[in-house]
Amino acid sequence: MTASRLPKGGRVDRAKTVRFTFDGKAYSGHPGDVLASALLANGITLFGRSFKYHRPRGVFAAGSDEPNALVTVLSGSVREPNVRATELEIYDGLVTASQNRFPSLEHDFMAVNQLAGPIFSAGFYYKTFMGPAIGPLRSTKVWMFFEKFIRRAAGLGKAGVTADPDHYERMNAFCDVLVVGTGPAGLLAAEAAAETGAQVIIAEERPIAGGSLLASVELIDGRNAAVWAREKAAALAALPNVRFLTRTSVWGYYDGNVLTAIEHVSDFKPNRTKGQARQRYWIIRTGKTILATGAFERPIVFPGNDCPGVMLADAVRRYAVEYGVATGNNVTLFTNNDSAYEAARALSQAGVNIVAIVDVRADVSGACIEIASSAGAELVLGHAVTGTHAGKTLSSITVQHFNAQTGHVSGTPREIKTDCLGVSGGWSPAIHLASQAGGKPEWDEDLQAFLPPEPNQNWVTAGSAAGYMDTVSVFSDGATKGSSSKAKPKLPSVDAPMFDASPAAVFQIEPAAKSQKAFVDFQHDVTADDIRLAYREGFHSVEHLKRYTTLGMATDQGKTSNIPGLAIMADARGITIPEAGTTRFRPPFTPVSFGAIAGERYGDLRPHRLTPMHDWHLANSAKTYEAGLWHRPMIYGSHGETVEQAYVREARAVRQSVGIVDVSTLGKIDIQGPDAGIFLDRVYTNMFSTLPVGKARYGLMLREDGIVYDDGTTWRLSETQFLMTTTTANAGNVMQHLEFYLDCIWPDLRVHLTSVTDVWAGTAVSGPKARAVLEACVTGTSVDNTTLPFMGIVYGSIGDVPVMICRLSFSGELAYEVYCGAGFGTQVWEALLEAGKPYDIMPYGLEALGTLRIEKGHVTGAEIDGRTTAHDLHLDWMLSKKKPYIGSAMKDRDGLADENRLSLVGLISLDNQSINGGSHIVSDATPREPADSFGHVTAACYSPALGKYIALALVKHGTSMIGNRAYATDLLRGKHGAVEIVSHHMFDPEGSRMHG
Amino acid sequence: MAEPLSPLGHAFITGDHGNSAGGVGIAITERKNLSIVQVTAWRETVPAILTAISNVTGLSVPDKPGAGRSAGEKSVFGFAPGRYFVVAQASDLEDRLRKAIPLETGTIIDLTHGRMAIRVKGPWSEWVLSKLFAIDFSEHAFPVGFGRATLHHDIHTNIQRIDEETFDLYVFRTFARSFWQTLGHAAAEVGYHVQ
Repeated sequence: MTASRLPKGGRVDRAKTVRFTFDGKAYSGHPGDVLASALLANGITLFGRSFKYHRPRGVFAAGSDEPNALVTVLSGSVREPNVRATELEIYDGLVTASQNRFPSLEHDFMAVNQLAGPIFSAGFYYKTFMGPAIGPLRSTKVWMFFEKFIRRAAGLGKAGVTADPDHYERMNAFCDVLVVGTGPAGLLAAEAAAETGAQVIIAEERPIAGGSLLASVELIDGRNAAVWAREKAAALAALPNVRFLTRTSVWGYYDGNVLTAIEHVSDFKPNRTKGQARQRYWIIRTGKTILATGAFERPIVFPGNDCPGVMLADAVRRYAVEYGVATGNNVTLFTNNDSAYEAARALSQAGVNIVAIVDVRADVSGACIEIASSAGAELVLGHAVTGTHAGKTLSSITVQHFNAQTGHVSGTPREIKTDCLGVSGGWSPAIHLASQAGGKPEWDEDLQAFLPPEPNQNWVTAGSAAGYMDTVSVFSDGATKGSSSKAKPKLPSVDAPMFDASPAAVFQIEPAAKSQKAFVDFQHDVTADDIRLAYREGFHSVEHLKRYTTLGMATDQGKTSNIPGLAIMADARGITIPEAGTTRFRPPFTPVSFGAIAGERYGDLRPHRLTPMHDWHLANSAKTYEAGLWHRPMIYGSHGETVEQAYVREARAVRQSVGIVDVSTLGKIDIQGPDAGIFLDRVYTNMFSTLPVGKARYGLMLREDGIVYDDGTTWRLSETQFLMTTTTANAGNVMQHLEFYLDCIWPDLRVHLTSVTDVWAGTAVSGPKARAVLEACVTGTSVDNTTLPFMGIVYGSIGDVPVMICRLSFSGELAYEVYCGAGFGTQVWEALLEAGKPYDIMPYGLEALGTLRIEKGHVTGAEIDGRTTAHDLHLDWMLSKKKPYIGSAMKDRDGLADENRLSLVGLISLDNQSINGGSHIVSDATPREPADSFGHVTAACYSPALGKYIALALVKHGTSMIGNRAYATDLLRGKHGAVEIVSHHMFDPEGSRMHG
Repeated sequence: MAEPLSPLGHAFITGDHGNSAGGVGIAITERKNLSIVQVTAWRETVPAILTAISNVTGLSVPDKPGAGRSAGEKSVFGFAPGRYFVVAQASDLEDRLRKAIPLETGTIIDLTHGRMAIRVKGPWSEWVLSKLFAIDFSEHAFPVGFGRATLHHDIHTNIQRIDEETFDLYVFRTFARSFWQTLGHAAAEVGYHVQ
């Protein structure tokens, strides 16, 4: 194969030069070139090495169906592997490299794999590494040993390991009609749809519109077909109701007429403008979809068909007509249908020398004969290619007599000198998106191809995708499918000979004497023999065939291999192709980068949720961690202090004097309406309708199955308004739970719910001096024990900021929660700190908050873990016997009343060592695996109040175990220590401090 | 009276950003000094609520899903059945609505501190917002005055169309800084001005 730039022709801008590199060597091309055309123009025909056997491979196609010419694009330390050279537009500074070779593309040591071909046949992994143990060889251990070698030896490109610095984004689009593809059918369908006034989106995967017209030598309305297409596309793009997207591949079709597409916004440019995304991920919701996706030419399988120089006939034509590149000095065409003659005509006009046209059919039309004659090509009818001769590129082919009816090869082989063989095995409608949309493709005997299934959403296929293979029919079908009118559409005139689109039913040439491998799936190195082997080993179903051989599973998704593969399996089984069936296509139609799917979520996969005092925390040495989406202070660390030292200092300050903690993250729900009290009685286990205005109450919710769901305090602000607080983690779930019951179960209740979590900034002031701090800064109300008793609510001001204060305690100390408008949160926080200076007030973080509650035995999500009952947590005193509530019917079922259930206890370390959260509680003094666990630790800390390491735990027969010695064992982290089981109320069990 | 602090903190940087050399595609503004009140009707009291809102604000809103009106800094729009945002530069807005709407007609909750109001204005506003929200911003689907409740990145957002190229966004305060930065990233392509 000796490729070169033709003296003229093609759409490339020959006046300009683009410089790029491939495997470290500098080359040049022209604007309009793709990497494949530019390298071919430079005489490069070896593009890569094959997946398993490291066989030399060249360009095979000219678009998204390319299986061989995959390259890695390098940009600094970033590498993008498996980019199709047939679609990669070149630009100044583009750096590319070939893949899967060592040390170089020309001299690849791993080509030795070809000698081990029989070993790497279908089912290699299953047979070698998943078989039974033989003697000392356990297959999994063999696999673990060989895995790294195999992964190095086989594969495609290597992904980069550095962060992708590029910018991606998503776009949501809505339209009445989406037209996929801008060939002759797509352009006329879009025009017809636009004329109705519909909002139309047109998506074209290539840089310019035109599809098959771009490589056509037909005259449309008297003009060159590509020029006609360009003018038509420009006119459409100018319409106000049309959005025309180029470089946009529609890759997924989902329910509800939702389609996904990837737009290459700037990755074909040497320099991107500021803020410009590399790729844009489109999510398109459309009323109607017109799939004008064209058709893929398919190859014929024959021995030696994978050497560089063997290509699809249409690809040979496209490189010549579109890029002005001759893929060989002496081109031969091998076909079972008339389209190769169209290619021959175009090649001849472009100045490409055609040596011969080998046709499996014994008779062809006069038009075909005329084209062969005028092109100066020998017409070899009733013959087939039965072998190739090549080093790293094609030098000649062998042809023999062939009977297209019987598939029988006979006669003496004849050699034809040729450096490029264009193969056409017929055309398969690109039904990938239609198949994704649903339904079973239908076999068409004339085309020897699957046609789109019956639509189950509002979509149609048009043109070649619907099985129309000549331009006149394609125009007509496109215009009809795009229009809502029954009137006959006005169509462009087409000046071209008519060809018969029906191929001979020939998919493989199988000479009696085998000498060379015949490849079906080039990208995964699947041969015709592999498919027959799969059949012999019992993998008959197309689904099994696919998985056993990996046929059609690579990045090209079998665009060139599916039909030949099915045909060979059908032949082996002695059934027809439609009887063998086909697999359903799945997204993506073309590979999509993860960056594009992540879209704007680069750098982080989720939003950050910040409390009103967040900046103050950071400015005052808080170390924060993420709690759900929230960022919360863990500790306020001093220099050189450990986390334990910090939280012990903070917790001690609360017990001894006063501390403040940001509790703005608590879920808060406004509940209003005349039935608000009744509603709360139903969702809480305890009574709220009797709660006086200006008071709060601790509430417990159960799930329907009787398990504890959430807890929190709810404040009665008026007769008809409550403020519910929930745990931080469960706020959203509780809101949904309440809304579900109001909307679906009790729609008669007049209650409105609104999330007000973000409305309020909350600060808890805790410690013996908490009241003194409030007295120093709150105006407009007293906070003494009479005015503000335990669970009371008052309204006042701090500075000139209105505040609402509720006296309640999570720490077990005298404590208050001070709420103000979130915009004033920092001012109130700072005012409280100022007022607390005489008492050495100290801010404390979540670690100290947890320490204080563990000392008190108060439960959180660690204990309300979706498995515990109120009884398990010693909260049965909150279960009303006077009313039903969610979960009341199920809370007493046998399983929840079992005396063997785990229940809450406290633990005290007896060896003065910390206790790991998650440790199991066992009775053995010696660590053993497996141990007979009878409980586990839910939370642990060092208690400054008790001077010991303590924990909360859920333990079998918990209460009756109090006073016993046990062991907390954490074999994963190598910890095993003695503990005493104690009451979960480890500090101030009478509650005298918080009621003081 | 203390001034409420913006949730944007250091993320609020005035001036031109992104690809602004040739002009900006949108302007982004944090709207301040607003009262944002949510009014919710009972099933049968929507007409009465709309009348009361009209009496308080002077803005007459038709009883249609998502319908709304705006005039200057005042605006009203529906975003769920019987549920409306009423926005004005008036600190007594909640009181006036509460007087006009008894419990038999509906409920009222002041969300001023819980939401940040962002105005997005400019010829590229539809384009930029379409990157973030899965709703149709074209004018025939989202007419002037109308409101929507939608999500971005799990962040609930209320949006009202003010004119052909202007949208007001109401974002949960605790997510506001994160959303603001995401909005900036989305707008960088067309250039944006923060004022």
